[in-house]
Amino acid sequence: MSIVDVGQGQEVAGPATPSAPVTAASLRRRTTPWVLLAAGLLFGIGLQPQLYPAQERLVSTVLMFVALATAWNLIGGFAGYASFGQVAFFGLGGYGTALMMVHLNMSFWLAMAASAVVAFLFAALVGAPLLRLKGHYFAIATLGVAEGLREVVTNLPKLTGGGGGITIPTFGPNAPTRWLGNDGFYLLFLFLAVAVVAVAIVVASSRGGYALRAIHQDEDAAAAMGINTTLAKTLAFAGSAALTGAVGSARAFQLQTIYPDRSFDVAITVLMVVMVVLGGSGTVLGPIIGAISVAFASEWLRTNYTDVHIFLLGGMIIVAVVLLPQGFTNYVRDAVRARRFSLLENVRRYRL
Amino acid sequence: MAQFLQATVYGLLQGGLLALIAVGFSLVWGVMNVVNLSHGAFVLAGAYVALQLHDAVGLDPFVSMVPAALLLFGFGYVVQRYLVNLVVNGPIFITLLLTFGLELVLVNLMLYLFTADHQSIPTGYAEGSLVLPGDVRIPYGRLIAALLALALTVALVYVMRRTRTGLSILATGMDRGAARLMGIKARHVYALTFGIAAAMAGAAGAAVGAVSTFSPADAGRFTLFSFVASVLGGLGNMWGALYGGLVLGLVQAWGGQLLPGTLVNAVAFAVLVLVLAFRPQGIAGKPFYASRLEV
Repeated sequence: MSIVDVGQGQEVAGPATPSAPVTAASLRRRTTPWVLLAAGLLFGIGLQPQLYPAQERLVSTVLMFVALATAWNLIGGFAGYASFGQVAFFGLGGYGTALMMVHLNMSFWLAMAASAVVAFLFAALVGAPLLRLKGHYFAIATLGVAEGLREVVTNLPKLTGGGGGITIPTFGPNAPTRWLGNDGFYLLFLFLAVAVVAVAIVVASSRGGYALRAIHQDEDAAAAMGINTTLAKTLAFAGSAALTGAVGSARAFQLQTIYPDRSFDVAITVLMVVMVVLGGSGTVLGPIIGAISVAFASEWLRTNYTDVHIFLLGGMIIVAVVLLPQGFTNYVRDAVRARRFSLLENVRRYRL
Repeated sequence: MAQFLQATVYGLLQGGLLALIAVGFSLVWGVMNVVNLSHGAFVLAGAYVALQLHDAVGLDPFVSMVPAALLLFGFGYVVQRYLVNLVVNGPIFITLLLTFGLELVLVNLMLYLFTADHQSIPTGYAEGSLVLPGDVRIPYGRLIAALLALALTVALVYVMRRTRTGLSILATGMDRGAARLMGIKARHVYALTFGIAAAMAGAAGAAVGAVSTFSPADAGRFTLFSFVASVLGGLGNMWGALYGGLVLGLVQAWGGQLLPGTLVNAVAFAVLVLVLAFRPQGIAGKPFYASRLEV
C-alpha cells in the first residue's frame, strides 16, 4: 500500500494508481492555462475587425514572435540548451516552402507541413552530435550550423536564386495557392501562435517537460533517475525546430520574396532569446509576455526614433538584462513568494 | 603550384592577423567564461581610432595601434568593472545577451558617427610587394601586419605566463574562489582581463584598417572569426588563438582557390561544427575548459 493511500485514509485493493488525486486546486491549475489560451484566441479573433491594415500587419508580426519565442523556450528555456542557431530552422522552413511551391508546384498548406517535417528531421540529424555539447559550445555550434546553411543557400543560385532571393508566385494562374491577404495572415499567425503555446502548455505539465527541467538542473542526475536524456533533448530540439520551421514557412509566404541574408539573420535568433530571457525562461507565460513587449517596444522605437532605434534597443537590452536577469515572470513569482520587490537586490543575484 | 603557394602565403599572413583579432576573445572566454559578442565592435573601434588619427594628424596606422590599444584598454576596463561584472555569475544567456546589447549600441554608434561607408587607411608602402622566387608576392602591408600581430600575441603569452598580473589572471580563471583566498581582487582582475582583450582587439583593428577596407557592418564577421579561431585552437592554452587563426586563414585561402563564390565561409563553419562535435577541446586546448559548465 502506498503512502498516498494511507494519507487519504482509504482502503484500496490492487495496484495504486500513480496519478495524484484530483482536487479542486489541481484541477484549476491544470485547466487555467487552457481557459486563458481560449480567451486569448477569442480576443485575437475579436480584435481583428478593429484594426487598420498597418496595425493588422504589426500584430501579425507580434504573433509570429510569440510563436517563435515559445518554440525557442522548449529547448532553450525548459532544457537549458542555448540554441543560437534557431534561425536555421526559420530559414529552412521558409526556403523549403519556397522551393516546394516554385519547383514542385505544391500547395502552401502541404508545403508548410512538409517544411515542418524537414526542419524536424534536420534538427534531429544535427542535434544527435551537437546536443552532446554544453553551454557556450552548443550555442556556438548551432550558430555555425545556421551561418553555414545560409552560405549553402546563397551559393546554390540555380535552386534558390542565390543572394538575389526567390519569389513565390502568389497571383495568377501559376500560383499554387493564392496569397492570403492581411486578414488571412493575421489569422494564420494567430492560429500558429495558439498552436505553439498549446504545445508549450502540454510540455510544461507532462512527464517530458519535467524530464527537460531535470536535464536543465543537472543532466547527470537526470540520467541517473532513469531519464533517457539524449532522446528527451533531441525530441525537444527537433520539436522546437519543427514549430519554428512552420512559422518560417508562413512568414516566407507572407513576404513572397525571401533572401538568404534576411531569412538566416542572426538577429532573429537573438530576438527570440531576448524575448524568452526577459519574459522568463522555462515558463509558458514568460515568452508570451516577453515577445509582446519586446516586439511592440522595437516597433515603437522604429516609428518614433527611426535613426537610432537599434541603438536604443541595445541600451534597453543591457538595462533589462542587468535589472531582471531571471526574467519578468520568474521575478514576480519569487518576489511575491519572498515579499522582496527591490530590483537593486535583484541585481546582486549574479554580481561578482 | 605557384597559385597554391601564393594562397598558402596569403593564408598564413591573414591567419596571423586573425590570431591577433581572436586572442583577446579567447582570453576573456577562457578566464571569465564570457563569450564577448561585442568583440568585433572593439576591433572596428580600433580601426576607426586609427582612421581618425590618420585623418587628423597623419599618423601611420601601424603606429596608431598603440593609442588604439590604450584607448580600448580603458574602455574595456570600465565596461567590465561596472557592467559585465554585474551579471558575470549568471547563466550563459545573460552574458551573451548583455554583450549582444553592447554590440548593438557600439555598432550603431559607429554607424551614426562614421556612416556605413567602407573606409580604408592609405599608406605609402602597403601597396608594394616583396616578390619571392616562384612569383609569390607578399604585400608589405600584410607582412608588417602579420609580423606585428605575431609579436603582440607572443608578448601577451609572455605577460600571462611570466608576470604577477598575468599569473593572477590565469589563477582567477582556473579557480576564482581559491584566487580570492590568495588575496587576488577578482573584480579588478576581471576588468583587467577584459581591458587587455579590448586593447588587443583595438590594435588588431588598426592593423586591419591598414590592409583592408572596413565598415561598421563587419563587426559580426570579426566576432565570428574570433569564435572559430578560439574554438579551433582551444581554450585554456595561450597559443590556442594563434593556431586557430593560422588554420582558419589557411582554410579560407585554400578554400577561396577551390570553391566558387562565398562557399568558403560554409567550409569554415563546417570545420567549426566538426571540431566541436569530435574534439571540443580544440587543437591545443585542455579538456578542463571544454567540459566546464557555467561557473
